[in-house]
Amino acid sequence: MTAPSGIKPPTISLRFFRWFCDPTIAEDIEGDLTEMFLREAHKDTLSHARWRFTLNVLRLFRPGIIRKVKNPSSHFHPSPMFKNYFITSVRSLARSKGFSTINIIGLAVGLATFSLISFYVYHEMSFDRYHKNADRIVRVVENLRTENELLFQSVSSPPMGPHLLNDFPEVESYARFQNWSLLAERNGISYYEPDSYLADSTVFDIFSFNLLQGDKKSALREPFSIVLTESMAKKYFDGEDPVGQTIKMDYDNYKVTGVMEDVPENSHFRFSNLISFSTWSRNNKQAENGEWFWNGFHTYLLLRDAGSIDKVRAKMKAFIGRNMEKGGMYYEDLPLQPLASIYMAPLRSWENGTRGSLNNVYILSIIAMFILLIACFNYVNLATARASRRLKEVGLRKSLGAMRRMLVAQFLGESIIVTLLASLLGMLIAWLILPSFRTIVESRLSFSILPDPWIIAGAGLGLILFIGILAGAYPALIISGFQPLQIFRPSVKGIYSHHNFRKVLVSVQFVISIMLVAGTLLVQDQIELVKNQDLGFNKNATLVVPTNGDTVIMNHLDAVKNELKALKGVVAVTGSASVPGRSTTNNYTQIEMTDGKMSPTNINFNYVDHDFLTTYSIKLLAGRDFRRDVKADDTTAFLINETAVKDFGWTPEQALGKKIHHRYQGKIIGVIKDFNYMSLHNKVEPLMLSLSAWPNRISIRLDETDLTASVDRVQRKWTELAPNLPFDYTFLDVDFDRQYKADQQLSKVAGIFTGLAIFIGCLGLLGLTSFAVERRTKEIGIRKVLGASVGSVVVLIAREFLWLIVIALLVSTPITWYLIQRWEQNFTLQAVINPLRFLVAGVCVFVFAWMTISLLSFRAATANPTKALRTE
Amino acid sequence: MNRHQLGEFEEIVLLTVGILYKKAYGVAIIDEIEQRLSRKVSIGALQTVLRRLEDKGYLSSELGEATSVRGGKRKRFFNLTTLGSRVLRETQDQRVELFKAIPRVAFPKQ
Repeated sequence: MTAPSGIKPPTISLRFFRWFCDPTIAEDIEGDLTEMFLREAHKDTLSHARWRFTLNVLRLFRPGIIRKVKNPSSHFHPSPMFKNYFITSVRSLARSKGFSTINIIGLAVGLATFSLISFYVYHEMSFDRYHKNADRIVRVVENLRTENELLFQSVSSPPMGPHLLNDFPEVESYARFQNWSLLAERNGISYYEPDSYLADSTVFDIFSFNLLQGDKKSALREPFSIVLTESMAKKYFDGEDPVGQTIKMDYDNYKVTGVMEDVPENSHFRFSNLISFSTWSRNNKQAENGEWFWNGFHTYLLLRDAGSIDKVRAKMKAFIGRNMEKGGMYYEDLPLQPLASIYMAPLRSWENGTRGSLNNVYILSIIAMFILLIACFNYVNLATARASRRLKEVGLRKSLGAMRRMLVAQFLGESIIVTLLASLLGMLIAWLILPSFRTIVESRLSFSILPDPWIIAGAGLGLILFIGILAGAYPALIISGFQPLQIFRPSVKGIYSHHNFRKVLVSVQFVISIMLVAGTLLVQDQIELVKNQDLGFNKNATLVVPTNGDTVIMNHLDAVKNELKALKGVVAVTGSASVPGRSTTNNYTQIEMTDGKMSPTNINFNYVDHDFLTTYSIKLLAGRDFRRDVKADDTTAFLINETAVKDFGWTPEQALGKKIHHRYQGKIIGVIKDFNYMSLHNKVEPLMLSLSAWPNRISIRLDETDLTASVDRVQRKWTELAPNLPFDYTFLDVDFDRQYKADQQLSKVAGIFTGLAIFIGCLGLLGLTSFAVERRTKEIGIRKVLGASVGSVVVLIAREFLWLIVIALLVSTPITWYLIQRWEQNFTLQAVINPLRFLVAGVCVFVFAWMTISLLSFRAATANPTKALRTE
Repeated sequence: MNRHQLGEFEEIVLLTVGILYKKAYGVAIIDEIEQRLSRKVSIGALQTVLRRLEDKGYLSSELGEATSVRGGKRKRFFNLTTLGSRVLRETQDQRVELFKAIPRVAFPKQ
């Protein structure tokens, strides 16, 4: 039984064993280990045997086997030496309290911001990963081709799920969702529940939503079953057991069949309740089987294994061809999005839930790195600047035989101690500002999303070591490199020659500061531009109230509108299916082209009433608005927007009279000027308006003076007219600007962290200046005796640093320019980059730096020169 | 008597070394214990106990011949010393005495 050459125990473990084992017994134990290893390698797999070997080695690592510590008479006493290192470190920190404080505070603030931003970034990246099956769940989305365009939609149609399950062995299960906005009511408690979702009964098998009460399999099987989240259950059934009871949603009664935990905050869509899919499908069997273009659903598939996604993708084209007729509109592809990627994926139309911005995550991560870098540079600067104070100590140690390696270890140890102290303080700071940080990023950032505390502790420790070494490496090498002879006979030259290096670091700090300031200003410019942009409609002082299709309001719509219009402070009232800033529907439509043929398209629609254009101040380019006196308008008239006209290759005048087949057959009676009914992240898309008597929302334009009183009046009138409907209003401009929420957050967060970066940078500058002043105490004294003015002394000291700002400005301008330009590509409209902003940033950094420097140099300049000259 | 207290595992190891007479080395002892008592023995635990027993003078050891099977490392064979075998016997007697002292009524009826 000789060993084949390939079968060897793991080298690392073997070496470890040889290192720790008592040499008098090492041979035979190693033999035992090898024998057992070879035996197992024959019986079992090699990797298993190797693993067992390592395990055995670790088990041998115990007293009795470990070699005895060498007898104490040898020359080497490591522990007193380390103790001495520690004492000198602490003493040197304590001796220069100012420097240490600056170092520790700077690092602490840096670490605090770094950890907060990391937390946020982790939160953003953790979306949907908590599902047990996360890697096997995908969402079916559509690339829909119409004659005129290619639409990227997040939605899918009801037959897709069942057919995919049927046709692909790789698919294990599916779940479809549809968002219903319902008015819930029980025992007089009534709220809108806009996040109600229709869901297949498989939802609890596929997703790891935690069902607290009820049966996973059957909870959503019967029609009119509803599963509530804990918080919704509490809202309507406070203290009672909701299971088995009923709750009214809109006009139907639903039986509560289960209660689940609230959907975790890091989910790409969240709901307050789930309604059984059969509630819908029992009356829509035909649609469920054949309506391939009813795109009102979100379909999720559970694959049998994570790797099969490509297999399914490859067969998708054939699936489409097999099941769907290629009419005027067809699916070019049905891509599959892995669950965890949805939150950060590029937006598709009709998304469910909120989406994150990968861009912002990147930008914030970079800012976090920058801040940490600035803090580290501070340490490096101050430590090298202070090196001269430690020279005697180093010289003495070297004369007594200390090796360079030991000195490096000593100074690295010192910087790690500083980092450790800073991280403790940093943790306190982070903990204190966490609540306000949560408000800014508008996210709960609960600790529950974080991994095991041990992992965090490990990562934190790693970070501390990393920062300690990063910041301590250069000073350690510099200080330990001095020759003892040089130190005790200071010709000074060699010792102070690290000026240039420090200047580079200071310049980099300035570069970063200027970039952050200029960047923040430019981001704000862009957001201001977008917010104040003429959108083609009036969004000010407009109240939007949902009607929920309430029969009382619908049946007396004109009367309701007139009542509201009669109120003091109300300028105009209109009802519509959707309002700007909210998603519109797009619908299959046929449009007469220039050659007279009817061409199918999927165009955005909004259903409005006669007052829509006037209420929103939307201009007409050609033709006329809907007219009350023309009864035929109700069933034949369409308005179309400028972009659509251009897309079809018409002039506005040519567009008039073109035939349209939609819900009814009619023609275009007017062309409206483009208005941005979506955010400026998107281009204006083609849009049609037609009349409807069933508005989902009523928009009320108010007089801009005395808004609050007007809102009060409207509210009173509303509760009088429709006592059962909550007056759940929003202001259109606020609602519309929420589309820029992510951008505004970015600007706020960037602003705050910019301030911090400048703060840390100035701390460092303060330290450096105080050092420069201290070193030149005598020089200043002599200069003053010889008649130098206070001003000239201040300039003398400040000069050293101020021209660095100029260089920094030159370096940072092009970088920032480029980055901001890239960022502005997110918008359809870009602000012109204003060069003045860089100047402002430069001046701003200059002012802060100047103030910091002057503070100390002024003190030095005004001090009595006799004191300075008497110090020896 | 107190001087010669044996731990349970120590006792088992001593017994096994006795059983394997002249052929008792690490792996063989582990195998023997696992076979007879169907109980897992870690090499770490065993080696510590072997060294301790040797220190106490209950075992003696000598290195055997080198073989290629063990990566050229020699085996260390353990043997009971006179002291060792006496301790083992005393322990055994103690156990028997104790067992005999149990009144018959103390055993539950089968």
